[in-house]
Amino acid sequence: MTQAQGGTKKVRVLVLAGYGLNCDHETAHAFDLAGGASHRIHINDLISGRVLLQDYDILVLGGGFSWADDHGAGVLEAVRLQHNIGEALQRFIEEGKLVLGICNGFQALVNLGFLPGFDADYKQKRVALTYNDCGNFRDDWVNLTANQQSPCVFTKGITELELPIRHGEGKFIAPAEVIKRLTDQGQIVFQYATPEGAVAGGNFPYNPNGSVEDIAGVCDPTGRIFGLMPHPEAFNHWTNHPGWTRRKVLSKRQGRRIDTELPVAMKIFKNAVEYIHE
Amino acid sequence: MPSRLEIALKPELFDAEGASICRKANDYFGFSVRSVRTINILTIDIELRKDQLEALRQEIFTNPVSQISSYDPLDIEFDWTLWIGYRPGVRDNPGSTAVEAVQDFFGLHIKSHEGIYTSKRYALKGDKLSLKEADQIARELLANDTIQQWKVFSKDDWNPNEGAGIIIPRVRLDHKPTVTSVAIDTNETLMRISDQRNLALNPNDIPTIRAYYLKEDVTAERKTLGLSAPTDIELEYISQARSDHCNHNTFKGLFRYLDLETGECREVNDLFSTCVETPTLEIKKKKPWVISVLWDNAGVGRFNDDYYYVITGETHNSPSNMEAYGGAITGIVGVYRDPMGTGKGSKLVAGMYGYCVGPRNYDGPLKPRLHPKRLLDGVIEGVRDGGNKSGIPTPYGQVWFDKGYLGKCLVFVTAIGLMPSQIKGIPCEEKTTSAGQLIVMCGGRVGKDGIHGVTAASEGFSAHTPAGHVQIGDPYTQKKMQDFLLEARDQSLIAFITDNGGGGLSSSIGESARFSNGCVVELEKVPLKYEGLDQWEIWVSESQERMTVAVEPEHLEKFMALSEKHAVESTVIGRYTDSGKLHITYNDKTCAYVDLDLLSHQFPQWEFDAEWIPPKLRGLVEPVLEEPKEASALLLAMLARPNICSKEWIVRQYDHEVQGTSVIKPLVGKARDINSDGVVIRPDLKSTQGLAMAQALLPTYSNIDTYDMVACAIDEAVRRVVAVGGNPNHVGGVDNFCWPSVGYDPNDNPDGKYKAAQLVRANWALRDLCRAYELPLLSGKDSMYVDGRLRGPFGETHKVSALPTLQFSCISVVGDITQCITMDAKVAGDLVYVVGKTRDELGASEYYEHFGYVGLNLPKVKPASFMKCYNALSRAVRKELIASCHGIYRGGLGIHLAMVAMAGELGMAVDLSGVPKTGAEKDHTILYSETPGRFIVTVDPGDRSAFESTMDNIPCACIGTVCESPDFHVNGLDGNPLIRLAVSELKKAWKETFGGLV
Repeated sequence: MTQAQGGTKKVRVLVLAGYGLNCDHETAHAFDLAGGASHRIHINDLISGRVLLQDYDILVLGGGFSWADDHGAGVLEAVRLQHNIGEALQRFIEEGKLVLGICNGFQALVNLGFLPGFDADYKQKRVALTYNDCGNFRDDWVNLTANQQSPCVFTKGITELELPIRHGEGKFIAPAEVIKRLTDQGQIVFQYATPEGAVAGGNFPYNPNGSVEDIAGVCDPTGRIFGLMPHPEAFNHWTNHPGWTRRKVLSKRQGRRIDTELPVAMKIFKNAVEYIHE
Repeated sequence: MPSRLEIALKPELFDAEGASICRKANDYFGFSVRSVRTINILTIDIELRKDQLEALRQEIFTNPVSQISSYDPLDIEFDWTLWIGYRPGVRDNPGSTAVEAVQDFFGLHIKSHEGIYTSKRYALKGDKLSLKEADQIARELLANDTIQQWKVFSKDDWNPNEGAGIIIPRVRLDHKPTVTSVAIDTNETLMRISDQRNLALNPNDIPTIRAYYLKEDVTAERKTLGLSAPTDIELEYISQARSDHCNHNTFKGLFRYLDLETGECREVNDLFSTCVETPTLEIKKKKPWVISVLWDNAGVGRFNDDYYYVITGETHNSPSNMEAYGGAITGIVGVYRDPMGTGKGSKLVAGMYGYCVGPRNYDGPLKPRLHPKRLLDGVIEGVRDGGNKSGIPTPYGQVWFDKGYLGKCLVFVTAIGLMPSQIKGIPCEEKTTSAGQLIVMCGGRVGKDGIHGVTAASEGFSAHTPAGHVQIGDPYTQKKMQDFLLEARDQSLIAFITDNGGGGLSSSIGESARFSNGCVVELEKVPLKYEGLDQWEIWVSESQERMTVAVEPEHLEKFMALSEKHAVESTVIGRYTDSGKLHITYNDKTCAYVDLDLLSHQFPQWEFDAEWIPPKLRGLVEPVLEEPKEASALLLAMLARPNICSKEWIVRQYDHEVQGTSVIKPLVGKARDINSDGVVIRPDLKSTQGLAMAQALLPTYSNIDTYDMVACAIDEAVRRVVAVGGNPNHVGGVDNFCWPSVGYDPNDNPDGKYKAAQLVRANWALRDLCRAYELPLLSGKDSMYVDGRLRGPFGETHKVSALPTLQFSCISVVGDITQCITMDAKVAGDLVYVVGKTRDELGASEYYEHFGYVGLNLPKVKPASFMKCYNALSRAVRKELIASCHGIYRGGLGIHLAMVAMAGELGMAVDLSGVPKTGAEKDHTILYSETPGRFIVTVDPGDRSAFESTMDNIPCACIGTVCESPDFHVNGLDGNPLIRLAVSELKKAWKETFGGLV
């Protein structure tokens, strides 16, 4: 483990890279802003053993088009990880470390069976992310409402959030009994919502893809594995928000300065870093 | 025995792809298709056991939650089944990734003859659908015969055991690679061979080529290597390097310019040198932020001390016109290799697009190869997949509809990169090759694809255009390669890098070898997709996703290890020398040996006659058009026009947030649905500096004068970046010319002389505006021959030439992104200002076009006064005195006031009598004149005096206010109500035209 300058241990974050993944730079940046020490690591460096997963506290499967999304988004990434470092991944989970999957990474977690992770079974595929109902890739900002009853360690203290979505395969589906169990166990972390904060009720474009129960993100029963379709790492600065120029003018008229602190989205990364610290 | 795996969504799940085909079949052809289910097919031609196949099916290729699958045909009901697969040799990206997965899964390496091929089957329901209609859906909606094959099955034809059959589109070439010598006994012989072999040699070049090969010392030297007459590979090299696409022969030509009004004749020598190079070099001396221009794959400007930005623009017209998706994806992925190959390489940070196509609802008598509707859909999707899968945001773009583009569409793609200013103390923008360095080819393999793409782009589109030049770009392979090359660059392993685009190795090695002054290439080492390519084909193939890199021998081991880590194929295929020769061998036998300086000097300049017929002489006049009485209805009709209306459906398909850098997005306003003037990104996440970018094109103005077409396009692009907060003193430009053929021919191109004069005038405008705005041309390209031949209803063909078109792109550095602004009205009570004078300039306007007129009075750019205005406005932005800022572009003041109100979802009450003007005396002239240099600005009443004093001496007046009640009220010059509309009505009209598209 590296020692940070104050003598406290920096939380080590491994952000996967390579094979068409493409959000590794900004995801690493977000974890750095949150106080972590992040490293972009090529999948093959883990496989070859040049880098050891066990040296890290948080594993991030970020956004992108791994293997071009051919044969289902996240499918081939899951195959490669499972077949080469499957055991190391299972150990990583067993040791109580954190795993975050964003967009393509969420799709990979679902295909690995890490989510929903019922009964500590991190191999079985029970849910899927499939083609958006709108029939197309879509880039838009969405409103999210967070489940206060969820065990998710990443979303503590977050009630609602605006984030960009950018995907063609983000429609969350699962058999009714799986949805029920996800609901009962508080595993539905984020739901798409209206600007007023009510759940989207399947209405486009608030629910951008047709996800069942407006599901935008789920965690495993321990709350330590979290996957979501929206991109919190793309809201790393207040000027990322689509309404910032309006807010700035309106604040000025009310005699206030606009809030230039780190956006709420960064709390997801901070929570993760703080969880490891504790 | 190959196996065929069919995979489909579970029947109870919604099939979005199928639904989209249903919608298109109805929208395009008026067929009633009730439902479509999509079945993905993998034809696995790999020796595997039954249990292995079953494992693949269950563990990789079927999602148990969402999919069903079977090695037998899936039993899915249909009235018609359409099977669509690739033709042999066409890039099958998912086929390749499937092979990767299978190798990973079993830890095996497949044999060279093995492979996996993807295809699709669509199960259509619609009992009224005839065979002819089903075939039309396959042919015109789903497949493109240049790259795909298809089969149509009726319910009765279908054998449930055999399904669509097992089709293996593997390339089998039973051919021994052969070098052929070409006879050059006479000019005519060589010309004939050039035609036969599709070399597209210019007749004027032929004597020079022959003279070289007949020189005694050349003959003697060649003899020692076993060569006599030129080989096919040598002629291919010369043809490629001399093509207009690579050599810009037209722009470097000699034009005899005659003004038919004054009778004055002038010789205009070398437009490139006089109108592009000279002004840019002058400006570079004044602007130290111009780092590297005019020699590399892209231009370089200073972002800050640590980083430089890189920009270039390209077109990919001919291939997109034949295969819209493949052409467009190859275009965007291809232009991304330019910044990758600039200096020692840069990281891609943004892309932009511009599409010029025929009217989307065209139903006239001409039969373009692809209907504009389908063509545009394909182009949109190609750039979408190319950009999104590369992980590069595509935040800006525009579309222009005009029937001139039925002949050939235009697909502009622009790439922006970022490089460190130094790598371990050495400037990143510099590079050179030296004798002894190794030539390494990285990325994809070489096949027959793309052969003669460059020469095809240098000809009009006809039935003879080889279909082989259509390809499908592979952003996934390229993304892996970019990750690898950036890491190699940062470890100082790259001495020189350039891309393999047009002309393939011939161009990349031919050009890079000029630095060291020589090379030896061992062609048999080039990795091939399949055996059987002739040497010349390997040399000029344009197979995509490849870079050529010069590596010092002592760095090779590290370079190759990195390459392997990133799963990228890299191969040493030769070395740089200082022999003065391009020397190519194949299994130790020389097949090409040419002096490198042959290309730089000895060829004759192209010559053109140019005749300018001024607009009045062409009979153009202002129309006799009285003031419309229904001003409100007219505004709604104008907003709905295809070149004005909302195209949100395109914008939202493009990822504009990836990399986390977005500051000003393509769609802005309260509901985030109105087009921003420009976009801003923060390419270095640790900095609050930004890059502002925008593009413009105004081809319709070419109907009157290309001088003003170019001047106005440049002004618009500059104004767009200034409007979002760009710095008017740091704007770099990229010029992309697309022009119809300018060579006169009494039969084929009777107006060639006029088109040549249009090109000269366009270049004069480029030169004048760049000088006046101190705007260096960081990069630029020209694509000539934008003509097509279209079939008509009686078996006749028509030549259709596109409007002479310049797309101009601007990039500017924003010192502090937190001062950027958007165009939406923000607060009720704010004052609405118009900045800049409105003149009677309705010529070729959207307004005249609406009524079927061209007119005469084209908008004129007044550079000196405009620049003063932009500087003042920029000061007001930096003082934070402006709530919103929006340029007045196509459609004029009326349209753009509506945009500001719609974006804010606030009302507006304005009075035309207040608008600063000269010579514009009618309400509708003021509303729709397209005078450049103008803005609409909203200002807090509290900032009124500060704003007005900042804008001192600039034509600028308050014409009304932003209102809480969402009504759009315009009073005419006489003070009486002219337009009374609800903002929601404006928006409805503006969105309705393409409203059904997502």
